[in-house]
Formats: sequence, structure tokens, C-alpha cells
Amino acid sequence: MTSMIRVRNVTKSYSRGGETLKVLNGLNLDMDEGRFYALMGPSGSGKTTLLNLVGGLDHPDSGELYVAGANLADIDGAELARWRADNVGFVFQGFNLIPVLTARENVELPLTLTGLSRAERRKHSEYALELVGLKDRMDHRPRQLSGGQEQRVAIARAIASDPKVLLADEPTGDLDRKSAEQVLDLLARLNQEFKKTILMVTHDPHAAARAQSIVNLEKGELGRIDHNVPPVAAPVR
Amino acid sequence: MFKLVWQNLIAHPIRSVLTAASVCIAILLLCLLRSIVTTLDAGIQASSAARLIVMSSVSLFVDMPISYQQRIATVEGVTTIGKWQWFGGVYQDPSNFFAQFAVDPEHMFDMYPECELDQASRERFLATRNGCIIGKQLADKFKWKAGDKIPLTGALFPHPDGGAWDFEVCGVYTSKAANFDDRTMMFQWKYFEETLRAGGQDPGVGVYIFRTAPGANVERIMSEVVAMFANGPMSVRCAPESEFQRMFISMMGDIPMLLGWIGTAVFVALLLGCVNTMLMAGREQIHDVGIFKALGFSNAAAFRILIAQSMILCTLGGIAGIGLTLALKPMIATAIAAMFPVFLVETSTLVLAVVLTIFLGVAAGMIPAWRASRLKPVDALRAGA
Ligand SMILES: Nc1ncnc2c1ncn2[C@@H]1O[C@H](COP(=O)(O)OP(=O)(O)OP(=O)(O)O)[C@@H](O)[C@H]1O
Ligand SMILES: [Mg+2]
Repeated sequence: MTSMIRVRNVTKSYSRGGETLKVLNGLNLDMDEGRFYALMGPSGSGKTTLLNLVGGLDHPDSGELYVAGANLADIDGAELARWRADNVGFVFQGFNLIPVLTARENVELPLTLTGLSRAERRKHSEYALELVGLKDRMDHRPRQLSGGQEQRVAIARAIASDPKVLLADEPTGDLDRKSAEQVLDLLARLNQEFKKTILMVTHDPHAAARAQSIVNLEKGELGRIDHNVPPVAAPVR
Repeated sequence: MFKLVWQNLIAHPIRSVLTAASVCIAILLLCLLRSIVTTLDAGIQASSAARLIVMSSVSLFVDMPISYQQRIATVEGVTTIGKWQWFGGVYQDPSNFFAQFAVDPEHMFDMYPECELDQASRERFLATRNGCIIGKQLADKFKWKAGDKIPLTGALFPHPDGGAWDFEVCGVYTSKAANFDDRTMMFQWKYFEETLRAGGQDPGVGVYIFRTAPGANVERIMSEVVAMFANGPMSVRCAPESEFQRMFISMMGDIPMLLGWIGTAVFVALLLGCVNTMLMAGREQIHDVGIFKALGFSNAAAFRILIAQSMILCTLGGIAGIGLTLALKPMIATAIAAMFPVFLVETSTLVLAVVLTIFLGVAAGMIPAWRASRLKPVDALRAGA
């Protein structure tokens, strides 16, 4: 199996008020194509930082970073933006959607970067919304949706242009149990049916249990990796 | 993409409308201010360099002796010369203000080819002792026609017998040029002079206007005229008509300059207001910008989304302002008719309005758009969360 994500000796630090804060400290990590990973670790351990590096939203200070076959250290600017559009889909904890656009328009947004015609974009976005079970909410604005529905629209948008990698930063962090389960079901299904490689940051062991591997990050260094976690049925509360 | 820009604008309807309205009003104001300046200028441009004006070196409101006419006529190169005196009469009520001049009727039409009047009326004017001619606009305003009698109270020159001056309308002239007002009344010098003399008064002359022979050395003529009266009794100034018009306008307190400053101030205030609005809009959309970039939109796209909002607001406001200018033009022309014979909205003013509108849109959107394009997606996303 090939590595979809390959992290080699990656360091990342932030300087704040003259002080340098080392967040990632020579990190090494391999993630296989088509697997669902949960990234765990205490607050401030650098999970979001790592996710953003993998998604090409930020550059490492040093080290190598291969994602979906590209060396992210080599590309920059508009090219990197283009790479993001083609290869990764993001789901963040909250405030994922553009508030002034409807659900469908939000999903169509990344498709405007592709060569698709208006009609095709429409078809794709409707399909993606159907997949997340929100076709009937297509013309609603984010404010008219529940938190869980917003998150599902965000997932629809992340998959609309069919990227190989899905990156989710605490996608269930703000959700109640039931909505969280729906989102997790969806991610698991995207992984199983559509073979998406998924990296999901979470604090919730229940959520992490839905992944196939759990990566632990401790103070910028890799902790334990648990493989082959059996899929856990949605616990009833 | 356009949808996104538009939705962002209508997400804040009040703010957007107010911004566009402020642009609209400012552009309207700028168009009007500039039109006043160009209107004044048009008078200067259209005025003839072949006509020269002699006035007292003290001020336009100080008279020169009647005897100067013959002496100026002796200067080589001077062809025709005529007197003009501001009468300042009142028709019924001071609010009915219009200009009246005592003139030499024989030279009037040679001197002013801009003044169009049929031959019969000209002859009637020459033959009627208390005859006058009036401009078309003036005639329309008071519904006067040839044969009507106009009684004027002489505010500056009271009639010796205590009553009103009586003038008979001999014709209604039209004007062919922006410098020649068609709301003026001109009447016979002789009537003016004789009436005053009968009352023991000695009339003076406000300005002499003369024409020069083709090819004459105007500079020399002007200095000769000035030198002629250098030792009194009243020294004079002599200038081409265009120069005179400029002087006349600057006596009104250098209005073009003042208007220029007002216009600039309006524009700068507007610019600051628009910049502020767009900065606000930009701050609100920081998180959105983070999302765009995460989705794969380039820095340039983020720049465009923000600058487009500013451009659209300003353009809508600007179009409304230009439209309003054109719509209001006839009304304004009537409103300022007492001061300016015509009201010209020149093409160059409209072009300037378009250029300023575009400049405004770009300038106001520049800072937020630049910020958005520079923003690192990571920071943008953190900022909103
Ligand atoms: N742009 C930044 N400037 C300065 N410091 C930053 C920046 N981004 C992150 N940090 C710091 O880096 C450290 C790691 O942040 P990161 O967001 O990656 O942690 P995390 O593991 O995602 O934490 P959490 O579970 O709370 O989300 C934190 O101490 C954070 O304050
Ligand atoms: Mg985090």
C-alpha cells in the first residue's frame, strides 16, 4: 500500500512576542491511502498545526511533506492553492460555511475552480448534498441550518470536487451526540465506499474509535499509533 | 463568484445603500461644481479677443468721463467704440432682478455679432428715443413683447421728475454664444444721458468697449489707451474682453478656485468614508477569506472578491450620481439662471465623474483587498473561530 501522506522530520514553530514556540519537532509519520485516521492529543500539542501543514494551508519550517504525490515544500502561492482545490477537502470545527451563500452555493464554491459547466456543477453539488442527506435543505442559508446540518454541508463541499484526502479538524466538537454520530457515519461511509483517505482531529475517544487508526500526538512528537481498531457501532445513550 | 460578491453586498443592505448613496450625492455635487466652473470658463472662451474693454483702474464700479470716448477713438487701430453703463433699475420689486445697460445703439450690433436681432427691430431701436431691446429669456420670464412698456425705478439713477423711467420694447434678441447673456436689457444712451442732464446730473461711463482693425497691434493699442489717461482725471485699465471676464469672475471671490477646493474636500471625505466602510466589510469577511483559500482559491481571487464589492458599490453610486446630474440639469439651469446665462454639463465633466468613480472603487477596496490577499489562510481561519 502506498503512503498518501508522508511526513519526514517536519518542524514547525511559531514566534510570539519574541519567544519561539516549537510546535512540531522533527515529526515522522506515514498514512496509507484509503484509511481513516483519527489524530488525538492534548490541547496545544500541534494537531491543528499538523492538519494545516498536510492540507497545504501552511508551510513547515523544515522537513519533507508528501501529500497525494506532491512535495508540498516545492509548491507555493497560486500553485499550492490549485493543489488544495484538486487534492484536499477541509472540514473545520465550526464556521465552515460562507454565511451569505445557500447550502448549494457553498457546495458549488470549490467547483467554480474546476472546468465544470454550470449545469455539471449543479449536478455535482446536488449529488454531494444528497449523499449527506440534505438535498431538501439545498436553498437554506447556514443560519437556517442546525450545527450538525452545517457540518454535513461542509462535508458535502469537501467532497464535491472529489479530492483524495479529507481533513477534518474536530468536526464533531460543537455537536450533540446524535449529530456527531451522523457526521461520523458519513465520514466512515466516505472512507469505505469512496475510498477517501481521512485525517480527523478529535478529542473524543468515541469519535476516534470510528477510525481505523488512531495517531497520538504528544508535545509535537508522535506517540502511540493504534491500528485496526474495530469499527464501533454507534453507541446508544 | 459574482453571486458571492453580490450576496455580501446585500447581506448588509443598509450599509450598502448608504455607501452607494453617499457616492451618488458626492458625484452629483462634483458634477455640479465642475459644471459651474466650466460654465464660467465657457463665457471666457467664447468671448472675443477682438473686443477690448476700458474701465477705471479703481474698480468696475467707478465711472469714467464721457469725453474719453472721442479720445480713445483717435488711437490708431481702434475702429468702433461704444459706451456701456450699468443702470441698476428695479422692475416692481428688487426680486425681479435683471441687468440693464445704457448703450450706444449705433455700434451695438457691429460690436456684438453674437446678438441676433432682425433688421426691422434694429431700426426701430435706433429710432425710438426710450427704446430698448431685451433678451429672449428675459422676455419669456416677464412675457414681454415688442411694443410693451417697461417702467423701471432708477435705484442708482433716480428719474429727475421723481417717477419711473419708461422704456419701450423694440425687439427681442437671441444670443448665439455662451458669453452673451440673453436676459439683459439694453437701452438708448441718448435717452439716459439727456434725462439725467435735464435733472442737472452728469452721467459717467462704466466701461468703453472697442474693436480693433484686423491685424492691429493690440498690445500697443492697450498701452496707448492706458498712457493716454495716466495723468487723470481718471486712470484706466484696458484689457481684452476675455481678460475682463476673468477679472469679473475673480471679483466674485475666485469662485472657480473655491469650488475646486470644495470639490476636492468632498471627494476626500467621501474616499475616507468608503475606505472605512470597505475596511469594515473586509474585517467581517476575514474568516470567509480563510475558507476560500482553504478551498483552493488563490490570493488573487480573494483580492478580486473584496475589490469587486467596493467597485460595484461605487459604480452603482456613481451611475446614479451621473444620472441625477443629467436629470437635474434643467432644474438647476433655471435655479441659477439669475447668475449664469447657461448651465453647461460638459462631456469632460461626465468623463471625470466616471474616472473618479472608478478611482474611488479601486482606492476604497484596495486596502481590504490587499489584506485579504496577503492573509495566511491559517490566520484567517483562526481569526474567525
Ligand atoms: N499562528 C500562530 N501563532 C502563534 N502561535 C500559534 C499559532 N498557531 C498555533 N499556535 C500555538 O501552537 C500550539 C499548537 O497549536 P495547535 O492549534 O496546533 O494545537 P491543537 O493541538 O490543535 O490544540 P487544540 O486541541 O486546543 O485545538 C499552541 O500552543 C498554539 O497556541
Ligand atoms: Mg486545534
